Amino acid sequence: MAGTGSANIFYVVSDALSSLRENKGTTVLTSFTLGFSLAIFSLFAFVITNLNAVVKSWGDRTQVIAYVKNDPGPSPEAMKERILRMEGVRSADFTSKEKALNELRLELKGHEGILEGVDSNPLPASFEIRVHDEYIEPARLESVVKGIEAEAWVEEVQYSKEWAEKLASFLRFVKLVAAGTGAFLAAATLFIISNTIRLAVYARKDEIEIMKLVGASDMYVKAPFVIEGVVQGVLGGLLAMGILATGRAAIMGQVPAYLRFALEMPYPVPVFMAVLAASGVVMGVAGSLISMNRFLKV
Amino acid sequence: MIQMFHVSKTYEGGTPALTDITLKVQKGEFVFITGPSGAGKSTLLKIMCGSEAPTEGQIILDGRNYVRIPPEELPPLRRRIGFVFQDFKLLPRKTVFENIALSLKVMGAPPSEIKKRVTRMLSYVRLQHRANFKPLQLSGGEQQRVAIARALVKDPAIILADEPTGNLDPELSVQIIELFREVNSRGTTVVVATHDKGLLERYARHSIALDAGRLA
Ligand SMILES: Nc1ncnc2c1ncn2[C@@H]1O[C@H](COP(=O)(O)OP(=O)(O)O)[C@@H](O)[C@H]1O
Ligand SMILES: [Mg+2]
Repeated sequence: MAGTGSANIFYVVSDALSSLRENKGTTVLTSFTLGFSLAIFSLFAFVITNLNAVVKSWGDRTQVIAYVKNDPGPSPEAMKERILRMEGVRSADFTSKEKALNELRLELKGHEGILEGVDSNPLPASFEIRVHDEYIEPARLESVVKGIEAEAWVEEVQYSKEWAEKLASFLRFVKLVAAGTGAFLAAATLFIISNTIRLAVYARKDEIEIMKLVGASDMYVKAPFVIEGVVQGVLGGLLAMGILATGRAAIMGQVPAYLRFALEMPYPVPVFMAVLAASGVVMGVAGSLISMNRFLKV
Repeated sequence: MIQMFHVSKTYEGGTPALTDITLKVQKGEFVFITGPSGAGKSTLLKIMCGSEAPTEGQIILDGRNYVRIPPEELPPLRRRIGFVFQDFKLLPRKTVFENIALSLKVMGAPPSEIKKRVTRMLSYVRLQHRANFKPLQLSGGEQQRVAIARALVKDPAIILADEPTGNLDPELSVQIIELFREVNSRGTTVVVATHDKGLLERYARHSIALDAGRLA
């Protein structure tokens, strides 16, 4: 007879669409599960990302100041280059003796008299040095400092060891909480989503079996599930977005001002929406395909 | 067309349903598989269509060894078999028309041909007026005829029918068997499992008798 090849793409797609219509209820239910799960997970990601940003900005206060000897020898540019080439150093700002004196004069406005009689400039030139985040940790910071001290033109290095220790331990704490909560939330979310999808697929195991027995290829049987997975993923992603926006609007007024930063949107909205929809699609499609695999072996 | 060599089947944790079956069905034959309920008729047909794997033995169907066939070659082979399941296996959310059309769709027949063939098949089994019904809105006998129509509509090389007259009154039973005979006269191999003695007496032909999973 005619058409003994495999099913054409037109049937695959049109059947998948009518299957979507037949399974409206399940699709909506799964979309909601995806939506709420993704929303909870995103909320967590927001808080952690924001918290992390704040803690990192504290890291900028971790300054190392290197005072330069009176006759250093190398030019400021050469010294700066030496420092910047050291491991862990992010930036180095030079303050010349003259600039230091000018700054002091500004600070002493109205009491300039104190400086009278000082004929030579008593203030040393200095470098304000900032390290990369990973080097805030006390032991590593100390090794950076040691490196700077080893330079012949360095008179003395000053930094707050205590502050570095506190900050580092707080950063460790934040990371631990984030990892623990994140792992727990991810496991719970995946468990809920995979179960929802598994039940939805199980309800259609007879349908899968019948299609296979009539001679449908695996592709023909899988197509509706893939398309439904995509639809569920996109709907779930949009829903998560809606839940987050509504939820945020509803509670923002109740949140004390100093905590509001945690609920700010830390990512660009289109990127975030794309990531939400994409993770929804991946979970929806992969979940369906994995759960239906054993029913395809007919 | 169909050859079985020393086929045995034991369901998981159960007693053997088939023991050491060796048989041969020639191309173009019309064969009855008979035996009391529980004799293993359904199991034999399921093994023939590849929906159950034998515990032991080999099956050659249409020149292919079923037991060793790679999974992706199973669908094309099934498209050449029309199977009428004892429990019909209709898709409950599709209409009668769509259920019958499915076996043509999976092989990519053009829509115009699907419409033509399904419509003709519906009138063969006298269900024109039920085309847009869902299976659960039909009587048992009507559902059975949908299952038969789905198997016949693709002009298969082989028809395997499990109790195809089980839910039909005698007059309709005869009509359905006549339908199978007509298809058979055009060269299709037909295997019908039945415990209906009346049918056997009327169409006494090659028959394979089973009893408690063995050839009798
Ligand atoms: N899916 C199954 N799981 C376990 N046992 C089964 C299954 N199908 C059939 N059987 C058993 O296998 C034997 C043969 O059944 P079957 O092939 O349906 O016989 P028949 O069609 O001749 O009535 C019976 O004892 C039945 O209980
Ligand atoms: Mg049976």
